Amino acid sequence: MGNKKQAKQDGTNGKITRRSFLKLSGAAAVGMWVGNALPDVIWIDEVIAAIPASEGYLLVDTKKCQGCMSCMLACSLVHEGVENLSLARIQVIQNPFQKWPHDLTIEQCRQCVDPACVAACPVHALEANPNYGNVRMVYGERCTGCGECAAACPYTPSRSLVAADERYQNKEKAGKCDLCAKAPYHWYKKGGGPHGKQACIEVCPVKAIKFTKEIPLQEGEAGYKVNLRDEKWASLGYPMD
Amino acid sequence: MNGYMGEILRVDLTHGKIMTIPTRAYEPWVGGHGMGSAIFFDLVKDKTIDGFDPANVVTIMTSPLCGTLVPAGSGRTEVQGIGVQSYPIGWFTRSNFGGRFSTMLKHAGWDGIVIEGRAEGPVWIDIRNRTVQIRNCRPLSLWGTDTWACQERIWNYVAGKGAFGDWLTLDGGGGGKTTQRPAVVAIGPAGENLSRMACLIHDAANSSGQGGFGAVWGSKNLKAISVIGTGSINVHAPKALMEARLRQTNTYAFDLDNRKGRPLSTVFDAPPRPVTLWGTPRGSKRPSEGQRPVACVGCHAGCRGRYESGLGNEAHCAGTAFYSEASSLDIQRRSSDLLNRYGVNAFEAWRGLEYLRVLNKEGVLGPGKKIDFPLTFKNFGSYEFVEQFVKMIAFRNDGHGHKSQTGADLGEGFVRAAEKWGRLEGEEGDLKTGWLNFPYWGLPNHYEPRAELEWGYGTILGDRDINEHCFNTIFWDVLISRFIGGKPRATAEETVKICTEKMIPFQGDHLMMDYGTENMYSEHMAKLVAWHRHYTRFWKQSALLCDFRWPDFINPYALDKVGSTGESEQKFFNAVTGKHFSFLDGIELGRRIWNLDQAIWTLQGRHRDMVHFADYIYQVPYGGPCFMTSRVNGAWEYVNISGRCIDKEKFEEFKTHFYHLEGWDPKTGYPSRSTLRSLNLGTVADELEKNGKLGKG
Repeated sequence: MGNKKQAKQDGTNGKITRRSFLKLSGAAAVGMWVGNALPDVIWIDEVIAAIPASEGYLLVDTKKCQGCMSCMLACSLVHEGVENLSLARIQVIQNPFQKWPHDLTIEQCRQCVDPACVAACPVHALEANPNYGNVRMVYGERCTGCGECAAACPYTPSRSLVAADERYQNKEKAGKCDLCAKAPYHWYKKGGGPHGKQACIEVCPVKAIKFTKEIPLQEGEAGYKVNLRDEKWASLGYPMD
Repeated sequence: MNGYMGEILRVDLTHGKIMTIPTRAYEPWVGGHGMGSAIFFDLVKDKTIDGFDPANVVTIMTSPLCGTLVPAGSGRTEVQGIGVQSYPIGWFTRSNFGGRFSTMLKHAGWDGIVIEGRAEGPVWIDIRNRTVQIRNCRPLSLWGTDTWACQERIWNYVAGKGAFGDWLTLDGGGGGKTTQRPAVVAIGPAGENLSRMACLIHDAANSSGQGGFGAVWGSKNLKAISVIGTGSINVHAPKALMEARLRQTNTYAFDLDNRKGRPLSTVFDAPPRPVTLWGTPRGSKRPSEGQRPVACVGCHAGCRGRYESGLGNEAHCAGTAFYSEASSLDIQRRSSDLLNRYGVNAFEAWRGLEYLRVLNKEGVLGPGKKIDFPLTFKNFGSYEFVEQFVKMIAFRNDGHGHKSQTGADLGEGFVRAAEKWGRLEGEEGDLKTGWLNFPYWGLPNHYEPRAELEWGYGTILGDRDINEHCFNTIFWDVLISRFIGGKPRATAEETVKICTEKMIPFQGDHLMMDYGTENMYSEHMAKLVAWHRHYTRFWKQSALLCDFRWPDFINPYALDKVGSTGESEQKFFNAVTGKHFSFLDGIELGRRIWNLDQAIWTLQGRHRDMVHFADYIYQVPYGGPCFMTSRVNGAWEYVNISGRCIDKEKFEEFKTHFYHLEGWDPKTGYPSRSTLRSLNLGTVADELEKNGKLGKG
């Protein structure tokens, strides 16, 4: 899915914004900067502190996925305690009449180095949580359900989603991938987050989702949509390339 | 009611009315087939009506497990009603299909759909959460489309301007957003033209194939049902469900990093790989191009595929074996697409085409022959040939748009067509010689009833080709090892012990699995058939576990090869529903449902005397190989039981054993009051008595 809000990021008036800086500097530099100095950097024109990079990311293989949507079911199950494809923070979207590999895509939250959703939240209800490896997380108590995070997300479909939440008297609340950091129905005693287990990865029957601590290439999709097919997979008659 | 949405949608097409049934009223039946049979029994007062009668009711049911993480237990949808395919009577029957329909139906807030009546003109049903509308087909020009075009037109209509892949806000009641397209199940031209082998098709190739439900929908002027929803399915114990899922798949599922045993298609530990038979009989061939496995919602091991060329997307099993002597693999793949697009049952088309070729070879059928048939058989193997053939069935003409009596006959199904052509008469009738390989209820042969007894007996005692692979795995495992190499997954003795130990309440009776000729009419064999009927009626067709993955009997990944059946089914069921259900509870409920079905068939006109195979099953020995478990000098072996017929008189003895075991009147096969009362089916007994069909005892 395309980058639908590219134009929104270019209103710089000649100044180098945090976002455009990151865009220009490239992924390798981003990784280095994030690792070394970003927590201390302040971009005056946006008057917000730079956000420390997440310590974990989900990578997917859209050519390997079998479309069972178990990842989606697991996501809503551990977060909301229900089964609901609409509440899943990872979305598998398919067209059975299309040719492989264009018949399916997986759209997961990128835990962006430069998270538009975090920047857009007017009440600071969406922030990197240092207790959970700086994963970008929604604080439900603060969230007003305004939907600014979903609107600001530059990807289609937006990785934040707003839905009625039973835990808050069915008020509208944003939901977003937290790598299962605060999933209330997490099955694993040590829980989730970058240092725990993620439901979508654990449940995927074909290992089409992978966790990494390395910051993926931020430009485009190649950093997040990767090849997880190996010779063992090929032994079942599937392509490796 | 965890696992349930609370209401069943009831649509009266005659009056254009949308109603609801509280799910709780049918909760004792759990879901799927059980609920469907009970609703059918209540709503259809006259069970003797024809399947094309507007009063016929079609139920489309989910289960509490649908749309959940239960592995191979989430994606099926059960369809029931009076069918039009079987012969001489269109039995009350069932079929089910996979994909994502049942999941989406539950997200929309419904546990099932009940269709009754007949619309004045072609309509489709548009379900968006709680908003349900019966829409005319005309604005979208749906009537006349194939099943794929129909689905795509509905997708585009429901999505409006919403881009594919973006969130779509539903304008139906309840709102909510989804990235998904509606789940649509549709009929093709075969259904519209009331071809008795017409299917319902969902997505590319999920097919409700048996029963002729495509034609039943066509008779109701119902083209499609579309559903899209955004609601939640409540789960009693989310953590327990997640733990059970991971334990089950980590312990019992195929493991690429640690492969064990022979990978088979119809076992829990099957690899995620398309079950395609393209290329037969020269050997199964997978297309050598980019592809992925494709699974139903929640399944741990997909059994279909999508391909770089798009040919044969999602086609599966019999849908790929059809036209097995096509002149190229691509043509065979395109023939699979023809079946799915026109909505034609693969098995009947497959066996039917075999029959036509025999008649052509014998010089009685073809252009200008005694049976004037418009297909040019010298073109057999070409795409043009198979396209014309499928179109003849679907459009009931010559396949090129011109009137053809024999084309119209094909739409009646092959047994009825053969009867009309005078081919069933006399001592050399085609059901006596076996030229027409349709052994039970006018339906095509699947697995051989003279060899795989639970399959044949289960079918003739029921309503359709059972298509339940529980024990059929043995046939494949041993056949492959004998002809290709390698050892079976378990010895015959291990197989017998492991399977029978799980078959409560008959556990431990090893003779249940003696398929040898000496034992094939015994009380033990009756127990095998009964257990199979009861297990499948509940766990597969009501709880809706997938036939290709359950039961889990022999499992090379498990300790001592003992699979998870008997331990896992109820664990998942209870985690979702919060009930305290045992495996035996499921078997017993399956028995209750089986008894209700038998009562319905009895009311339709079934009598013990009707329960027999086509004559060739008694007269012509089965010639193919089939290795099943049997005793040789007291030791269990895999024995080739080729070369035998079913003995007609001894089969009557078997029926008597079976009726006694079920508590039915052995003279008539009618269920008895005492049996029905013990199953809390007293009102069913009353109905049978009112109709003079209550069994003694």
